[in-house]
Amino acid sequence: MELVNIFIKSAFIENLALAYFLGMCSYLAVSKTVKTAFGLGLAVIFVLGITMPINWMINTWLLSEGGIFGVDLTFLKLILFIAVIASMVQLVEMVVEKFSPSLYNALGIFLPLITVNCAILGGSLFMVSKEYNFAESVAFGLGGGFGWFLAIIAIAAIREKIRYSAVPAPMRGLGMAFLLTGLMGMAFMGLMGIDPSAF
Amino acid sequence: MALIDKIKNLEPDKKKSPLLHTAYDAFFTFLYTPDHTTVDGGAHIKDGMDLKRLMVHVVIALQLCFVFGTYNIGHQHFVAMGQYTGFIEGFHLKLAHGLIKLLPIWIVSHAVGLGLEFLFAAKKGHAVEEGFLVSGALIPLIMPPDIPLWILAVSIVFAVILGKEAFGGTGMNIWNIALLARVFVFFAYPTTISGDEVWIAGFDRVAPGGIAEYGWAHGLFNGLFDAFNIDTFKGGTIVDSFSGATPLALAKAGGWDAITAQYSASQMWWGAIPGSIGETCKPFIIIGALMLIFLKIASWRIMLGMVFGAALTGIIFNAWGATEFMTVPWYHHFTIGSLLFAMAFMATDPVTATSTNTGKWIYGFLIGFIGLIIRVLNPAYPEGWMLAILFLNTFAALIDHYVLEANMKRRLQRA
Repeated sequence: MELVNIFIKSAFIENLALAYFLGMCSYLAVSKTVKTAFGLGLAVIFVLGITMPINWMINTWLLSEGGIFGVDLTFLKLILFIAVIASMVQLVEMVVEKFSPSLYNALGIFLPLITVNCAILGGSLFMVSKEYNFAESVAFGLGGGFGWFLAIIAIAAIREKIRYSAVPAPMRGLGMAFLLTGLMGMAFMGLMGIDPSAF
Repeated sequence: MALIDKIKNLEPDKKKSPLLHTAYDAFFTFLYTPDHTTVDGGAHIKDGMDLKRLMVHVVIALQLCFVFGTYNIGHQHFVAMGQYTGFIEGFHLKLAHGLIKLLPIWIVSHAVGLGLEFLFAAKKGHAVEEGFLVSGALIPLIMPPDIPLWILAVSIVFAVILGKEAFGGTGMNIWNIALLARVFVFFAYPTTISGDEVWIAGFDRVAPGGIAEYGWAHGLFNGLFDAFNIDTFKGGTIVDSFSGATPLALAKAGGWDAITAQYSASQMWWGAIPGSIGETCKPFIIIGALMLIFLKIASWRIMLGMVFGAALTGIIFNAWGATEFMTVPWYHHFTIGSLLFAMAFMATDPVTATSTNTGKWIYGFLIGFIGLIIRVLNPAYPEGWMLAILFLNTFAALIDHYVLEANMKRRLQRA
């Protein structure tokens, strides 16, 4: 039950994209069509879901004082986390290129750029600061990824819908994406403040 | 509609009574133009209903809510002072007080909204779109009666410019304009729209006890009532034992028992309870909803989906029963708060809702589900429908996208 709570909380209530506004560069750039957004969202779920437990293991067993080295190495946290994320993204990239070349072309530079997607690193850092255990970190990673996935396909669907709207010229493109993100964040505020573990 | 043709015959002679003809023409174009249809045998246009007529029908459906809202503002005011606590007692005073409160809100709402509409139409060089007619009628109904007019104006400016004109004007917005205006007030000026006190209008709360605040408008009405030798506004203070808590606030604190200690079920059904101006009277809302369904303006699928969603969630909560609020019988959720109003007039907005039939069921159901979750589970907000509808507005395009995709896939398989 606790795991379900963490999943729901990280997906809807503390949405990485719309509550913390993390991972904005790919969120704004790859949300032009639902199809590519869907692919990127899945990649983010995968990378978050894999890196979170790996980073948890690194953080608990190698870096913290109770780990195998017996000294506090947490200052290496950032660099190791990024290394793990980068290698996972490499893996995703190879898989995508092999199985869906069209998606690979559509995502372009933004697929390798998941490495520096702050939603992923931010997720790992949240996981450390919230002191989750192993299973909780998996739930948190998958939930956070799912929330980000939902946010990006929702904005992509809206952007597809308004493609033929008479949007004033200065608002077209990125300006509209910013406005949409802000208003979506406001719509998501309805769920903020719910504490699933309180019931 | 045969009625339409009958009214057409009433057309006054333009030369004999020009004034009457102008009035007739204004309402006629509101209600019946364009009336082009394809000639018999053609199977195309049954009724050339355009945007203006569609909008005006919604405004008409809202009128009963306006009437009751006007009365209820006054009713709550006098109940707070312990005067005229009966339903009918002091009826003229209640209506007058309500009118003094509601009319400025209505005027500001239309002046600001339509003003912006004209401004943008002139700027962009197209004809004025009547898009604000419905928003302008809805916004007063979802505000607390004592809302400062400048806050109202700012919220409408926000909603119209950022919610609608930035997207290209009427019919292109993603989020419901009226709800955007309300959500803006809700997050930017929370003290004016939440709490127990804001729903009781017309008191100076800085003074101890809350003294009734009457201005020149009340003086005018007093003169009128004096002339007819009937009761006038006498003033007074809020009685000590009075609590302006809405049923929702009571339910949060103590469940169904706490509500019934203060309001009876029939009182909540008929709407003599504190709340946003137009949301309280359930029968009138249902009449408006039926009218919209009958005229095929609002989608019954969304309404029914929302009822199912809310009922199912309520039943689950009843079975769960972890907090006092969860134990409120699920069928009573329909009469407390603004569920029905949101269902009839907010969720069904054809622009921001989903447009596929399957999508409408999903959309309505999820609004019912999430709205009740916010209402019952979220300690931060008293009511959930505004936020639930905005939340689902966000996903409406996505729902439509996948419904269409599924449909295409099915038809490709059949081919």
